[in-house]
Amino acid sequence: MAAHPTLTVEQIRADVADVLGEDPQDIPVDENLVDYGLDSMRIMTLVERWRRDHGTTASFVDLAEKPAVEAWAALLGAVS
Amino acid sequence: MTDARTADTGTVNRLPAAGLPLTAAQSGMWFAQALDPESPAQNTAECLEIHGPVDPEVFARALRQVTSEADALRVRVAEGDGGPRQFEIDDLELPLHIADLRSGPDPVADAYAWMRADLATPVDLARGPLFAHALLRVADNRWLWYQRVHHLVMDGFGYSLLARRTAEVYTALAAGEPPSGSPFARLADLVEEDAGYQVSETYDKDRRFWDGAFADRPEAPNLAGRTALPSRTFHRRTAHLSPLATDRLRELASSIKATWPEVLIATQALYLSRATHSSEVVLGLPMMGRMGSVALRVPGMVMNVLPLRLTVSPSATFAELTRQVVLGIRAARRHQRYRYEDIRRDLGLLGEGRSLVGPLVNIMPFDYELTFGGARAEAHNLSAGPVDDLTVNVYDRTDGSGLRIDYDGNPALYGPDELALHQSRFLELLERVAHTGPHTPLAVHSIARESELAQVLHEFNATGRPVPASTLIGPIEEQAARTPDATALVFGGERLTYAQLNARANQLAHRLAESGVRPGALAAVAVPRSLDLVVALLAVLKAGGAYLPLDPDYPADRLAYMLADAEPACVVADRPGRVPATGVPAIALDRLDISGYPTANPSSAPGPRDPAYVIYTSGSTGRPKGVVVPHAAIDNRLRWMQHEYPIGAGDRVLQKTPSGFDVSVWEFFWALRVGATLVVAEPGGHKDPAYLARTVREQAVTVCHFVPSMLQVFLGEPAASACTGLRHVFCSGEALPRETVREFGRVLGDGVPLHNLYGPTEAAVDVTYHPCATGGSGPVPIGRPVWNTRLYVLDAALQPCPPGVPGELFLAGVQLADGYLGRPALTASRFVADPYGAPGTRMYRTGDLARWTADGEVEYLGRTDHQVKLRGQRIELGEIEAELAKDPAVGASGVLVREDRPGDQRLVGYVTPAGGAAPDPAALRARLARSLPEHMVPGAIVVLDDFPLSPNGKLDRRALPAPASAGTAEGGRAPANHREETLGRLFAEVLGLDRVGVDDAFFDLGGTSLLAARLVTRVRTTLGAELTIGTLFQAQTPASLAAQLDAGNAASDHALDLLLPLRATGDRTPLFAFHPAGGISWCYSGLLSRLDPGQPVYGLQARGLSGDPDVSLPATMEEMAAEYIDALRTVRPHGPYRLLGWSVGGVLAHTVAVKLQEAGEEVELLALLDAYPSDQWRDSAIPAETDALTALLRMAGYDRTDELTREDVLATLHREGSALAGLPDRTLSAVVDIVVNNARLMRAHEHRRFEGDVLFFTAAAPRAEDWLTSRAWDPYIGGRLINRDLDCLHPELTQPARLDEVCAVLAARLKELDHA
Repeated sequence: MAAHPTLTVEQIRADVADVLGEDPQDIPVDENLVDYGLDSMRIMTLVERWRRDHGTTASFVDLAEKPAVEAWAALLGAVS
Repeated sequence: MTDARTADTGTVNRLPAAGLPLTAAQSGMWFAQALDPESPAQNTAECLEIHGPVDPEVFARALRQVTSEADALRVRVAEGDGGPRQFEIDDLELPLHIADLRSGPDPVADAYAWMRADLATPVDLARGPLFAHALLRVADNRWLWYQRVHHLVMDGFGYSLLARRTAEVYTALAAGEPPSGSPFARLADLVEEDAGYQVSETYDKDRRFWDGAFADRPEAPNLAGRTALPSRTFHRRTAHLSPLATDRLRELASSIKATWPEVLIATQALYLSRATHSSEVVLGLPMMGRMGSVALRVPGMVMNVLPLRLTVSPSATFAELTRQVVLGIRAARRHQRYRYEDIRRDLGLLGEGRSLVGPLVNIMPFDYELTFGGARAEAHNLSAGPVDDLTVNVYDRTDGSGLRIDYDGNPALYGPDELALHQSRFLELLERVAHTGPHTPLAVHSIARESELAQVLHEFNATGRPVPASTLIGPIEEQAARTPDATALVFGGERLTYAQLNARANQLAHRLAESGVRPGALAAVAVPRSLDLVVALLAVLKAGGAYLPLDPDYPADRLAYMLADAEPACVVADRPGRVPATGVPAIALDRLDISGYPTANPSSAPGPRDPAYVIYTSGSTGRPKGVVVPHAAIDNRLRWMQHEYPIGAGDRVLQKTPSGFDVSVWEFFWALRVGATLVVAEPGGHKDPAYLARTVREQAVTVCHFVPSMLQVFLGEPAASACTGLRHVFCSGEALPRETVREFGRVLGDGVPLHNLYGPTEAAVDVTYHPCATGGSGPVPIGRPVWNTRLYVLDAALQPCPPGVPGELFLAGVQLADGYLGRPALTASRFVADPYGAPGTRMYRTGDLARWTADGEVEYLGRTDHQVKLRGQRIELGEIEAELAKDPAVGASGVLVREDRPGDQRLVGYVTPAGGAAPDPAALRARLARSLPEHMVPGAIVVLDDFPLSPNGKLDRRALPAPASAGTAEGGRAPANHREETLGRLFAEVLGLDRVGVDDAFFDLGGTSLLAARLVTRVRTTLGAELTIGTLFQAQTPASLAAQLDAGNAASDHALDLLLPLRATGDRTPLFAFHPAGGISWCYSGLLSRLDPGQPVYGLQARGLSGDPDVSLPATMEEMAAEYIDALRTVRPHGPYRLLGWSVGGVLAHTVAVKLQEAGEEVELLALLDAYPSDQWRDSAIPAETDALTALLRMAGYDRTDELTREDVLATLHREGSALAGLPDRTLSAVVDIVVNNARLMRAHEHRRFEGDVLFFTAAAPRAEDWLTSRAWDPYIGGRLINRDLDCLHPELTQPARLDEVCAVLAARLKELDHA
């Protein structure tokens, strides 16, 4: 089995920005991403993407419960 | 027995014994159920199909385990003192039905029948259980797990949690392993989170967001075009978007950084906009509502529906529309916890039964890929909850089968076929969108299917028919040669043969040629109906010219305008002075000897492209415009008519339509082209049904025409039933009511065919035709296109509408007019390039709203600009008229919006009796109230013997009389003396009513201060009695006013007292209203008729209105407030108090409220009408006298124009009969001083804080003082400021239309306080 590249906080930001059609610089790490347009569809997309590319195991509910980059970094074991 | 069996008694998280309150989401469902307790509509259900072996016993254990974990399922809901609460059901038995259906012939059908029956059974919320399961075996290795849950306890996401957990537990148990621990959080957590939200700042913020976003209460168009109460069931059509299109949709979405649901929502908005002919739509979006919430782990009811408001413009690209969706949802999501039900309540839509949204688009992206002990399962939704209108449920299935798109429709609004049509069009549109670049304008898309496009553009318009190149007059000359001795023309006792007519017309034609009448030239004809009229028209045509009919009944100004505008070569009249003198040479027939002119046809015959006639029609701008119609157009029209309704030598056509109306064109010429006889009616005869019936019989008329409203009148004539010699009756000019067609059948029997024709003057009289079956039902179509004519029903993007969808009617083909005489720009705007015709062809934009029927006829729906808006509500008058006409006692009906008193618009219905019936207005209103929303029920219904008709015989709406009494005169006490009687009459006169009872109060009947002034003047002049406006405030009924006059104390001027009793009677807590800048509170008299009659209202007015020089004006706002408190305590010594103020009055009300609270009193209502605290004014200049004069005029309702001095202003007030003009000049001068003083005091005032909520009304139209904001009150208000925006300027706030809105809110609040 191929090793997955480790997920980084910057990668999380970049991916969130991508699904929202925004610039990564505009995505805060400590605020509720729902206010920035994150919805369940987009979270599902991210769950799938990170599972595929980084081998993460967090579920939709895990991410949806605390929709913020920092909280996700902890959940997903991302490095800064 | 396996180990697992002992392990399935998982601990339960029980509800507290006292139960739990409902969450707001649950309450919404509870109320919906309470509206119709027997309805099963809130049963939601899902069926999971399991492919593989299932052990029913293990399955039952798994369900018990999951049920024990999901406490939200196990509740019942009982009503207590504090409202409904949910309690744990004691000793709950798992409701599980297990059946093996394999022995039947069709186990799956049996299973679905069982599920449908269960789903249709209503649930008793108070007893429960609110859910049920069934496990049905339909094949050896195929099981259906049916789950039904009441929507009050479960939503779609909740289902997914339950199903996933059940699969997990079953799989563990089946493997003999203990299931993992419960993943669910408690219902109590949900309730607690919800309670926290209700009192949070976020809640207030959310509420303000929604109130602001929908402050204008937009229309929410839906596909049915009407609303209905929720049904107990729904129709469902299931379809799939192809996998290819689904993939393309995903790609399209990601290329514009959107998701497929957003693209799908945008497409639905596009469809809805086009299908409803609305540029703005509001969709409802069910939202999961769980993001960042404990609810992610609670299987329960959390979802919310949020309104998404979108503007769909044909020029925008699909990407732009999608971006609007993305941003709209993003904004909504930030406020997604505020309940849909609460938004409707806040906007006042509940009471009116109005919808906040059109269709719902419910996206369910959660696919369950579940396995039960290794057996694969797939979920099918059976019911997603109640369907108010239309719900589009979309499921993303990851099995590669594409999107599943269910259309659920309320059966009261959509039949199954209709639903299927909308669905298939939407799917086809989605396919096209998916295959079109996102940056293409929306205008490229039609919502019609390919097959429908072919139908509406080509099949329905297959009217091609070769006709010879000829003219209007040519065939008449040929006919004259064929049958010279046949009777061509009859008028009373006179008659002319074809040869005589032709000879006379030829002689006149030769004469006209001398005056310059030739091809391309115009000749006006102003001759009353007679033989000469026909001769003159033929003569103009024979000379090659086009005739311009001038109806001698028209006003002189209009005739003069037409002559000046058309510049004809000459005007032919029966006598001199028939038309106003203009520069146009006149030919008077009574002075003309044409005997010397040749009787042979002139050689100046016109060609097919030359103009044949010019007819003036009214313009929307008020300037009539001449329509130029060429020979080829009208020739085609007459050839088609002769083909469709062949007539000949034995036929007699009645000419009764005034020549200025284009229907007269076929009347004049058709008979003469085919050898029939033209019977010319007497002038004025067309309005006299008895004359017409006699003429039809005596002259053996076989063909005639009626405008529908005149036909109705004609059918009411007893002699009409004897007119059975008619072979063809034509109707056109107005919508033909079905009821008139039925009446026609009753009176004339089935032997006389009735034809409905339609066409504007711009397309040679008529372009469509429909044979009316007297037994038909529904609207009478205008029918199919005539020869060489095409009809297009187009949407806002000029794309064809499919059958059934309303759009604007466009006409194309040979019958189009050349355009408007001398108006190239107007012509270019109405006759535009035909995108569906040959290059270079034109189409005419009718401004009529129409739709195709499925079999290729067109139905007329009204004008595109005919919509009426009354008090912000859009109203189709035709709908009310149709409803009135349904009453068997009603013959014809008409409805209009009247404004008999300025600013007071109201809906009035008019009916004529059917046969010998006597329509009862009260019964009719009750009937309307049964089928129409309240705002569409006319306040008055007037019964008329017959309708007034315009010169053209159309219903003359402006001639309809104002309705009679709205008062309570009937049944009231009779006047006791002459004075009471006279006063009652004067009240009625001023109020525009038929009668007013002696005990009816002036202001309750809608009196305004302006009308009060008029009344006072009338009383003074009629009774010679001295009285003032103030007397009227004190004595508002004829009886009490008579008593005041008798007592001789009417002249003392209480109207200027500090405390003005606008309505001193009533058992409610009084409302105190504080004067605006001018110091006078009469402006609040409009509140009286709009608030509960038991609500006393007092005005507070400025000291010093008397103009007494010894009275000084207050030095501070505090001083003024203290004085007012003393005054109001004389009628209400202690609180609670209710205060209101407009403008400066608002600042005063706030100041008084603060002082009252400081004195320990309760202030339960503080209502501010566009009033702003002193901080907002401090930096603006104090008004000078000149501004005060402007304010004074504004108080009286006028804008200042050129009045310079106090004297000018007083003169204007006197001239306009203002209520203020009745005041002595020294008072008016005092008002000016008071305005200036108040402005100064207000700027100096320091506000303190009022502890409580404030009801605020913003005059939200753009204004010069754009800095004014209600937010400036924040530091001075302890509670909430509940704002309502009104689309008006500050001075307009106390005008009737605005007071309606203000009082709707105010009255509701007062009622709450009354019942608190």
